[in-house]
Amino acid sequence: MTSTSLPGQLPDATDSPVDTRPGRPAARRVRGEPGGHKIIVSVIMAVLGMAFLLPLVWLILAALNPHATSGLSSPAFSLDNFRAAFQAGAGRAIANSLYLAGVSTVVATVVSTLAGYVLSRHYVPLKGLLLVGVIFLTGLPVTLLLIPIYQIFVKINWLNSPFYTSLVLGATSVPFAIWLLKNFIDQVPRDFEEAAAVEGSGQFQILLRVVVPLIMPGILVSAILTFINSWGAFLIPLVLDSSPGDTPGAVGIYEFITANGQVQFGPLAAYGILFSVPVIIMYIISSRWLSGSFSFAGGVKG
Amino acid sequence: MTALTRRHAAVAPAGIRERQRLKASTLAWLTPASALLIGLFLVPIGYAIYLGFTNLELLGPTAQNYSFTGLANVRRMIHDPVFWSSVKLTLIFVVGSGIIAQTILGLALALLGQRAHVTVRASVGSVVVLAWVLPEIAVAFIWYAFSQAGGTLSVLTGHSNSDLLSTAPLLIVSVANTWRGTAFSMLVLSAGLRNVPQEADEAAQLEGASYWKRLLRVTLPIMRPTLMINMLLITLGTISDFTLIFAMTQGGPGNQTAILPVYMYIEAFQFNALGYGTTIALALMLIGALLSVFYIRQLRPELRRAR
Amino acid sequence: MATISLEGVTKSFKGKTAVQDVDLEVADGQFMIIVGPSGCGKTTTLRMLAGFEKPTQGQVRIGGKVMNDVPPKDRDVAMVFQNYALLPHLTVEKNLSFGMRIRREPRKAIEREVRAVAEMLGIASLLGRKPAELSGGERQRVALGRALLRKPQAFLLDEPLSNLDAALRAQMRFELKRIHAQFPVTTVYVTHDQVEAMTMADQIALMNEGRLQQVAPPERLYSEPSNAFVAGFIGSPKINLVPATVLRDGEQPVISLLSCRVPVNGDLGSVLQRMDGDAVTIGLRPEEIQPCPAGSNGRPAFQGLVELIEPLGSETHVSVRVGEEILICRFPPRSGLETGATINVQFDPQQMKVFDTASGLRLG
Repeated sequence: MTSTSLPGQLPDATDSPVDTRPGRPAARRVRGEPGGHKIIVSVIMAVLGMAFLLPLVWLILAALNPHATSGLSSPAFSLDNFRAAFQAGAGRAIANSLYLAGVSTVVATVVSTLAGYVLSRHYVPLKGLLLVGVIFLTGLPVTLLLIPIYQIFVKINWLNSPFYTSLVLGATSVPFAIWLLKNFIDQVPRDFEEAAAVEGSGQFQILLRVVVPLIMPGILVSAILTFINSWGAFLIPLVLDSSPGDTPGAVGIYEFITANGQVQFGPLAAYGILFSVPVIIMYIISSRWLSGSFSFAGGVKG
Repeated sequence: MTALTRRHAAVAPAGIRERQRLKASTLAWLTPASALLIGLFLVPIGYAIYLGFTNLELLGPTAQNYSFTGLANVRRMIHDPVFWSSVKLTLIFVVGSGIIAQTILGLALALLGQRAHVTVRASVGSVVVLAWVLPEIAVAFIWYAFSQAGGTLSVLTGHSNSDLLSTAPLLIVSVANTWRGTAFSMLVLSAGLRNVPQEADEAAQLEGASYWKRLLRVTLPIMRPTLMINMLLITLGTISDFTLIFAMTQGGPGNQTAILPVYMYIEAFQFNALGYGTTIALALMLIGALLSVFYIRQLRPELRRAR
Repeated sequence: MATISLEGVTKSFKGKTAVQDVDLEVADGQFMIIVGPSGCGKTTTLRMLAGFEKPTQGQVRIGGKVMNDVPPKDRDVAMVFQNYALLPHLTVEKNLSFGMRIRREPRKAIEREVRAVAEMLGIASLLGRKPAELSGGERQRVALGRALLRKPQAFLLDEPLSNLDAALRAQMRFELKRIHAQFPVTTVYVTHDQVEAMTMADQIALMNEGRLQQVAPPERLYSEPSNAFVAGFIGSPKINLVPATVLRDGEQPVISLLSCRVPVNGDLGSVLQRMDGDAVTIGLRPEEIQPCPAGSNGRPAFQGLVELIEPLGSETHVSVRVGEEILICRFPPRSGLETGATINVQFDPQQMKVFDTASGLRLG
């Protein structure tokens, strides 16, 4: 099964009775070799973990300490930095990001669900070619599209519009979303749709009432990935929408860094946390819902 | 195939299935996606291929009246030392910080995670993934602060007075990028590890193979397709990465970190040369395509077998 | 001397005990089969011998030395896994020679030995192929070959034939015995199939729910089962287990069974002496129940209804309903019976096995 979902938890290492059903690869966790390996390994991993943690520790300490510097601040608790961040426009910027990410996600998800369903279930001439094309588009660097889109937008006067900018953002997520949803829908048995068809439901009804509830996990994964992708968007809004009131979070933070003479790390950290929190929450919720994992190319049999 | 579809297939032999009609709904439902993809992907790509050979500018006379200039931009690119330096930087960045560092770290974390205590694995895993979920701009300024004079990294490496970002810019942005991206490899390779049949590893144990021998001769060879796909995805993701480096260094100091996407932006929107910027973007796409072809060729034996 | 012994071995996982207090001795060169239903702990036991699991209690000895803390790679054992565990990215030849290449044996020797084993197993023509291109039986032989090339102190086999079709299984049983005759290495073989156990083993260790039920050569397991479970597990068709009661007729115990009264003498009689009204279970093998000849001969007999006739060619299995019980009998091929007919059957009380219903243990 090639279900691609959000990064979920790493697999569980609880001891469990042996699963000896034939054909199960690695159903057990690696155990067994006698020795204190577990301790050494855990220590090494913990050390690595702490190295990763350090920058995040700085972030939190700096946000809460009104005299934050580029170094590690002493633990304090003050909301001054957050106030400063809001004064610098964090609220507006985050609202803008919400709009951009929201619209792009809705557009991309709806569009991709429809297309994914068609590509999975319907007869489409040259389907194979189309699918290869979609995969190819998935890997295309967005930087290539930037200038031509900018030029086109200049001509048809779509610049400086949050809506059209979010369309572009959505479009960049569409190829991957189509691929993800198509594969997801492939795994769902057709029985339900056929049963509904026999009962006389129309095409669209079937899609809405039968299929969508069944593939909701896939839709959610796609939506969440698109949202997270669009939330942090920087280059595209930077180029396509330079109205001061439209700046999304990422650009806002950038302007905050480059605007003032001396970087104020405290408010900056606060701004960053404010901007990061929605995405983090979204990730936590989704990974709890869908415990899945990336499982590419499990295809080599042995 | 479910019982129902099997019955259908039995009643309608293969030949008839292939002559299905094109439904109205098919076209209707493909339209929105097609419109978006054609309008915002294919048309711009085509337009880019044209623009790359023009003298379009952001402002000034050639903003409105630009013309096709043949291979002028290409010639300019070939003789542009900053371009070639940018290519080199891009490759170093992608290969060093992306492929090598992230794969090794991700693999190490995946392998360690297999045997570590549950709590350690879960918490370290969460921290690493948190670094990945953080918006790129946040990663940028965190590491900006980290490497300033007085920043934690500077202090730890004994250079508390120097602005590491100025003295070793490529290294710092590479470290930042690795910090951010490792989670992806860790997750993909963990999944790949889980797909290695445990019995194969046990059989190798019985043959007397030590841990490292098993890793090199059993585990990694079996994981080869996963590793290749992982590297492909890292490459594609890193090669077009703009935000991190631009926010940290704007390509500087003096083009020392101007990887191709950043260079393209600078040429297009700071030096107004939209046409030339597109040429650079085309070069970037070409490099990405070449690298992709390389990976796909590595995967070919497995792909053929899966068919 | 490659003896294997398990002394008081117990293995528990979180909350669940998979193997409970197992004592087992395997003599040098012996072919020992551990058999039992799914989940009985046989595979866990085997894995403890290999070193992939560590006993919670007790000791594992190979060649007399305690192996509890010795990793698998240092135990000098070879294992054939249920799913063959061939390395998928290597050719058959490289799979076979894997261990020898790890141990850095001279190339000439490797080539020679690999070829010899491949010839013996009939897979010499497959040396250049990869496992994905082989059939189940062929992969099986490669796995066997790899184990043989190891030249270990002991062979461990984990349900090696369970993924093969019936015909191939029968053939492989024969080949495995032949190989063992040629290379009499101490072997521990795990299976859930009692036919494999009966046909191949020198000794059988029957396990159920983590505990050893009986360890004995096949014939003894069949004719002298130590409890009702063993009697029911070994033998096909399954033994008939009929509830009965022990009554007292003066000084002599009498078993009341399906409207029959069977007086009990001798050793069994003295065991049952003290019982009165106790419930027992009687085991009657299908071949021990025969149609009554004309004229009584003193044996206990029942009258029953023929419910099902299964002709197998060489014999016929007839299910006879007697009262509330159904007895499966093995009759000669042409019995001339019809479903629904009434039939009289008899058995020899000397052959019956008596089990205490509560504990399952055989009384006589």
